[in-house]
Amino acid sequence: MFKSLKSLSLGVVAAALMAGVAHADVTVYTAGPQSLIDKMSEGFTKETGIKVNVFQATTGKVMARIEAEASNPVVDVLISASWDTATDFEKRGWLVKYSSPNAAKVPDFLKSDYAVAQGISALGIAWNTKSGTPKPTEWADLTKAEYKDMVNIPDPAQSGSSFELTAALAGQDEFKLFKDLQANGAIIAGANAEALNPVLQGAKAAVFGAVDYITLAAKKKGESIDVIFPASGTVIAPRPAMILNWSKNQDEAKKFIDYMLSDAGQKLVAAQMLMPARTDIPADRPLIGDLKLLKFDNAAVYGKRKETLGEITKIFGGK
Amino acid sequence: MQADYGTGISSPTPVPMTIDPSTSNAAVSAAGLELHYGATPVLRGIDLSLGQGKTLALLGPSGCGKTTLLRLVAGLLAPSKGSVAIAGQIVADAATNAFSPPEKRNLGMVFQDYALWPHMTVGGNVSFPLEMRGVSRADRERRTLHALDRVGLSAYAGRRPSDLSGGQQQRVAIARAIVAEPQLILFDEPLSNLDRELRENMVGELAELIASLGLTAIYVTHDHSEALTLADQVAVMRGGLIEQLATPDELVAQPATPEVADFLRLGGIAELERRDACWVFRNSDIALMRADEGRTDNSRVLIPVAAITPGDIQPDRLAATVLRSQFRGDGHLATVSLIGADHVELQVLSRHKLKPGDGVGLLIDHDQIRWFAHPVHSPQ
Amino acid sequence: MAAKSIGGPAPAAWLAIAGLVLVVVVPFVAIVLQAIFPNLGQGSFSGPFSSFIATLNDGALIGMAGNTILLGACVVLASALMAVPLGVFRALYRVPGAALFDVLLLVPFMIPPYIATLGWIMTLQPRGYLQQLLGFNLSPFLFSLAGMTMVMAFNTFPVVYFAVSRTVEAVGARYADVGRVFGATPARAFWRITLPLSAPGLAASLMLVFAAAIEEYGTPAALGRRAGFQVLVTGIDLRISDWPIDLPGASIMSLLLVGLSLVTFLGQRWILSRRSYQTVNGKPTSKDKRPLGALKLPVVLAFSIVSFLATGVPLLSILATALSRTISGGLAFDNLSLDNFLAVFQNSAGALGALANSFSLGIGTALITGLIGVTAAYTVVKTKIRGRLAIDTLTIIPNALPGIVVAVGLILAWNMPWLPVTPYNTGFILLLAYCCILLPQPMRYATAAFQQIGDNLEAAARVFGASGVTAFRRILLPLVFPSLASAMLLVFALASRELVASVVIAPVGMQTIATFIWRQFEQGSIGLGMAMAFIAILITTLLPLTLLALLKRSGLVAE
Repeated sequence: MFKSLKSLSLGVVAAALMAGVAHADVTVYTAGPQSLIDKMSEGFTKETGIKVNVFQATTGKVMARIEAEASNPVVDVLISASWDTATDFEKRGWLVKYSSPNAAKVPDFLKSDYAVAQGISALGIAWNTKSGTPKPTEWADLTKAEYKDMVNIPDPAQSGSSFELTAALAGQDEFKLFKDLQANGAIIAGANAEALNPVLQGAKAAVFGAVDYITLAAKKKGESIDVIFPASGTVIAPRPAMILNWSKNQDEAKKFIDYMLSDAGQKLVAAQMLMPARTDIPADRPLIGDLKLLKFDNAAVYGKRKETLGEITKIFGGK
Repeated sequence: MQADYGTGISSPTPVPMTIDPSTSNAAVSAAGLELHYGATPVLRGIDLSLGQGKTLALLGPSGCGKTTLLRLVAGLLAPSKGSVAIAGQIVADAATNAFSPPEKRNLGMVFQDYALWPHMTVGGNVSFPLEMRGVSRADRERRTLHALDRVGLSAYAGRRPSDLSGGQQQRVAIARAIVAEPQLILFDEPLSNLDRELRENMVGELAELIASLGLTAIYVTHDHSEALTLADQVAVMRGGLIEQLATPDELVAQPATPEVADFLRLGGIAELERRDACWVFRNSDIALMRADEGRTDNSRVLIPVAAITPGDIQPDRLAATVLRSQFRGDGHLATVSLIGADHVELQVLSRHKLKPGDGVGLLIDHDQIRWFAHPVHSPQ
Repeated sequence: MAAKSIGGPAPAAWLAIAGLVLVVVVPFVAIVLQAIFPNLGQGSFSGPFSSFIATLNDGALIGMAGNTILLGACVVLASALMAVPLGVFRALYRVPGAALFDVLLLVPFMIPPYIATLGWIMTLQPRGYLQQLLGFNLSPFLFSLAGMTMVMAFNTFPVVYFAVSRTVEAVGARYADVGRVFGATPARAFWRITLPLSAPGLAASLMLVFAAAIEEYGTPAALGRRAGFQVLVTGIDLRISDWPIDLPGASIMSLLLVGLSLVTFLGQRWILSRRSYQTVNGKPTSKDKRPLGALKLPVVLAFSIVSFLATGVPLLSILATALSRTISGGLAFDNLSLDNFLAVFQNSAGALGALANSFSLGIGTALITGLIGVTAAYTVVKTKIRGRLAIDTLTIIPNALPGIVVAVGLILAWNMPWLPVTPYNTGFILLLAYCCILLPQPMRYATAAFQQIGDNLEAAARVFGASGVTAFRRILLPLVFPSLASAMLLVFALASRELVASVVIAPVGMQTIATFIWRQFEQGSIGLGMAMAFIAILITTLLPLTLLALLKRSGLVAE
């Protein structure tokens, strides 16, 4: 009786452990929201019968995993939160050239020979409407006394778009804005969601440079929170999807990209409060045309990444 | 009520330093002592008194309450009713809630499990009571060595208790108990963890020690030979009561009840009834002896071992069958059952070995039979 | 056959060795090799020790190591300050409601530390539950070394509390009373007898707390970053799971952490072996305990406050968050909603899959560690075969291997390109990690159980015709089963909530309870994460209790 119990439970364990991997046909690593990739996989599997295996984490963790697995890689499709990844991987020669037929309606600046955007997020000020602070309209508003000790900044070292915003704004005034923020008690508070969570409960009033779709989704759920895109300009982060050249399932991977850019796939993107990559898909949120974008030299900014992060660390201390 | 002994925190009622006249000349006395755990009575009314320099043995089977009585004297428990006095001073009285904690009672104690403190050396253990009494260091060393010398362990002062054998550990425990020359020493089955030979030697040593130091002691044991060897007074306990309190000689000569006689293994117990002019073993047709007038109709008797002479089966002797037999040093002690009265078991001492199943004839000296006054119905 | 006819030892030993090599040796050796040969991943043994200089010269490393020790020491101090007085009162006095307090102080074991931390954040941060209820917050305190210390101490002090109350209880009953008979006042008996006799047990439990504190990830990660307080574990995590990764650096830091744990663990063993006083014979009974008298109220108050802080605050905060429709809605009646619990049961974001995965892994880990533990313990305690010392040593290593190190080692070992098959990227890698981390539990329990079984019991079985294997199965195994079963239940509870290793090596597409919760927090779905946490705590607390009750009823487990 004990024996049969043991073999039974061992069987259950083995089955549960194998379930994740054995029947997977295409493996997607994504830095996007879990619920988006879940719904997209579900739709894709329903349409094509191909199963999808997902690893979801922050961009940094996704990249680390790919690097750790470099000698024995399993990822077929990568969806990053930073276009820089696509540029870097293309340079390394890790990507497969592919132009999806569904990418026709994607504007040129959101696609290359090797990568195409899944959707776009923008950075803004996430502000708790019940915080008792006046509604901020500009980045510099957050250095005012009303926001003393009430501002979180996502860590630019952990988020590509945060870094771009930091670099672009810092380039305008030699880090003065950030020094003022620090003087006003603003702190660097981990990755995007980590910075946002305290604002939801009201521990902080605002996130300086919050990823918009997370905030918009929270607002849709009923949280008393809003996103403000400053008129002086902000940055956007197209989220590139790419196929890795070591993939043994390239046909399935291409089908996945096609589905991602299909009407159904793009509607799922819009439902997550991201801007869809295709211009012909409607979305219930401000689109690229509604935003003023900060101008900066991408290559120069990334060339000085270490220096910029070092300066920020110096200003905000810690680590 | 649950028992407790006071602490520095619970601030027990101060002990009145009055001397109870009725107990003033006793080293230890107890009056109307009772202890209950919840509804369960453990002691049901104990009265005793022990003179200075005397040894009292508390003898009885396990669960009779003897160790509980000792812990009440030690102050490790407090009585539910009644009082305890040591050297004429009341140390615990349930009526007045007076209670003096163990450290105020000037005691020595030897435990069944030795209870040597494992983190101290042998010397550290023995000198502890002196330290607590504020004896100077030089004096402590001298007296510790002297006490260890008395038990033959002066060379072991620097050792750990765990390095010693069981017998040596118990000697250390004894040294610890006597070192401060307390007014009263309590022994809680001190020898029961030792093997027989060692135990017999230690009984002798203990008796010598108690006599030479003139100790006042209470000695708890379930071994009647230990009790009868060591004690001036023996209290045989049963079911939370003292069945008989007497000197060893009285106890053997005149056990108060069949149970006492049985526990002391003085001989066989039998129930008799008067039929015609004979005393007959109850529920049988076997007659023991002629019946005199004036006695009750039935009675219980002790037929001591010494009253029976075994021999061949003859008409004037009671016929019996040997059940079992054990060598006892001075002969073979056999337990036999009477033919025709199987339920009666008697003890016989025989020069030669008796085998189970053998028949034997018993000649009984009627004068040595001890008659118990009233039939007592055993609780079993 | 020849070996078998000699007895059970040989098969048991081989099983133990095979299991230990797979579970312990492989990841440990991988770390050591990676630390020495930085290019090992590329299959090259070039540049040995070259990373040592770079890593050890890094000023931040000294800071992290210093912070690790500082945090460990603070947690030990705080745990001792809370646990020792409570433990002593529990042991020596009749504390009203003592049994209830024991249960309440056991619950912190069941609350995963990272969840408790998030509960504290939700409570103490500005506009947190404390401010919503009482109008003030303790944010500056929480996000500091003091805050981290408090949260971690509330999680670990029960170890000390139970160790102290048990040893003091036994010592007090057996030895301190003897001291009083020989003239010591209660205070002197406590200082001269009870305290020295309890000290080894106390010290050992404090070292256990230290080892747990330096391995902890969730609390320093959630609270320390804000305070600019990096410890070795968060440093390793950063190097291994964030881009760009630095495996040689992570390995060297891992070895540093292993060194710290090892010193602690060896210290603990040394204390226990040198000055452990067997007090098994003590029969502590409540009737021997003293009344508290005037101290009754303050002591009960202290027990209540500590229980409330250690158990009540985290649990209530978790529940409040899980039951909130929106976080910004706060503690308002119209914000009450079961949505988050419904979401878990509707398998939102793979919640049910995560539960099933974790419980399967928990069962698997319990069975495997139970098997390795019982065979290894048997070999070490009951046989005289050569190599049992090696087995003993191997079972010691996991004590000093923090979860993150095990995870790093497993990645290094099983992600080699030339391996024909690898558990990496399957659930088995998690199974291996959990087994390595939790192996010491069944080993410790089984060793103690075997030591209490006289050699003659097995000999008797052999004399009456049982083979070595049969004697082991029919005689020894049933005798150690009660201890083993409790250890396996503990393993189940701990494995099903393991976070550190899971976050690093969970295979693609596989979530566990801990990674699910962690991910919900990372994505801003705090309520869903807390609902999952509450369900997991409930199940990991109730399931083992129910099983124990059933086993007790069937007479399989004593006490």
